[in-house]
Amino acid sequence: MSIMEIIGSVLILIGSIFLFLGGLGIYRMPDIYNRLQAGTKATTLGAMSLILGVGFLEPSWMLKSLIIIIFIAFSNPISSHALARANYKRKHFPLILSEDKKNMDAYREVIEQEDKEDKS
Amino acid sequence: MKKVIVILLLAALGFYLGTTFFNIGFGDPHFANGVKDFYLKETVDNLHVSNTVTSIVVNFRGFDTLGEVTVLFLAVTALGSILYKRRHEVGTRSVLFSSSSVVTAGSKLLFPAVILLGVYVFVHGHLSPGGGFQGGVIIATGFLLMLLSYENYSVSHKWLSIVESLAGIVFAGVGLLGFINGGTFLQNFLPTGVLNNLFSGGVIPIIYIAVGFKVAAELTGVIYTVLHEKGVK
Repeated sequence: MSIMEIIGSVLILIGSIFLFLGGLGIYRMPDIYNRLQAGTKATTLGAMSLILGVGFLEPSWMLKSLIIIIFIAFSNPISSHALARANYKRKHFPLILSEDKKNMDAYREVIEQEDKEDKS
Repeated sequence: MKKVIVILLLAALGFYLGTTFFNIGFGDPHFANGVKDFYLKETVDNLHVSNTVTSIVVNFRGFDTLGEVTVLFLAVTALGSILYKRRHEVGTRSVLFSSSSVVTAGSKLLFPAVILLGVYVFVHGHLSPGGGFQGGVIIATGFLLMLLSYENYSVSHKWLSIVESLAGIVFAGVGLLGFINGGTFLQNFLPTGVLNNLFSGGVIPIIYIAVGFKVAAELTGVIYTVLHEKGVK
């Protein structure tokens, strides 16, 4: 077993652990924002690590896997940003268990200000 | 007398129809060994195509694919004709709120990559999984991305219909050229080249490129028409 194969296998293992944790996060988290952050962060890094591992196992695919990694680094955060933003604009506010509700959700004030401007 | 003749004619007709019907033999094994061996052998040995599915879809059952493309065209035309009046009454899209700058900038960066992937998929239809339909759908998703991120992004309906018609003419024209050169409709008449080469497989790449353009134009037209339909909010 060469050094490249060991590196590739370790990267694939790390990636699958991240993907598993992302799936667990989507199942366990209470509201959409927590689910989105669990899903996006874990699956972005997990998929990147997994594909990089494949590139190490098959060195001739390295360039292709790097391109795929760049694509994932672009598309995954953008799509989850769009989801979270659309959700917030439709007034599904995040679940806050703390008493200090005002200071934990600064974006709500912006939205309420925009609503007032729209009505006036 | 007239009635007797009619009854006799009907009886004769029924007899012949009945005998033909009962001779069809539903459920009989028509091919003792199946046709799979023929397809697998013929695809690699004579057509020099590495993707057997593509060779079946475009070459052996090309007429069927032409029918599928026609069905898609018909569906798009029907949808367009239903939504045509309403679109012209309103003209603009109903947008709840515009996309953020992250989405607009990101989709501007991703759009060429998506189009390139779609073109790659339908150009390499005879070499790798995929083909005209899949590549066309990927291109249409690229246009969907742009339409979702930009409120005033518009696609020219004139150009869409020109591309669609040209692609359909190319498909049918290749079929007619096969009729002239080879003997049957959609017969392969070009040299088949070397296995696993980009320029191989005879008419398959030409047909798949035409199908890719056609599907992309049709689905982009569908997305555009549906997005510009007002009423649902």
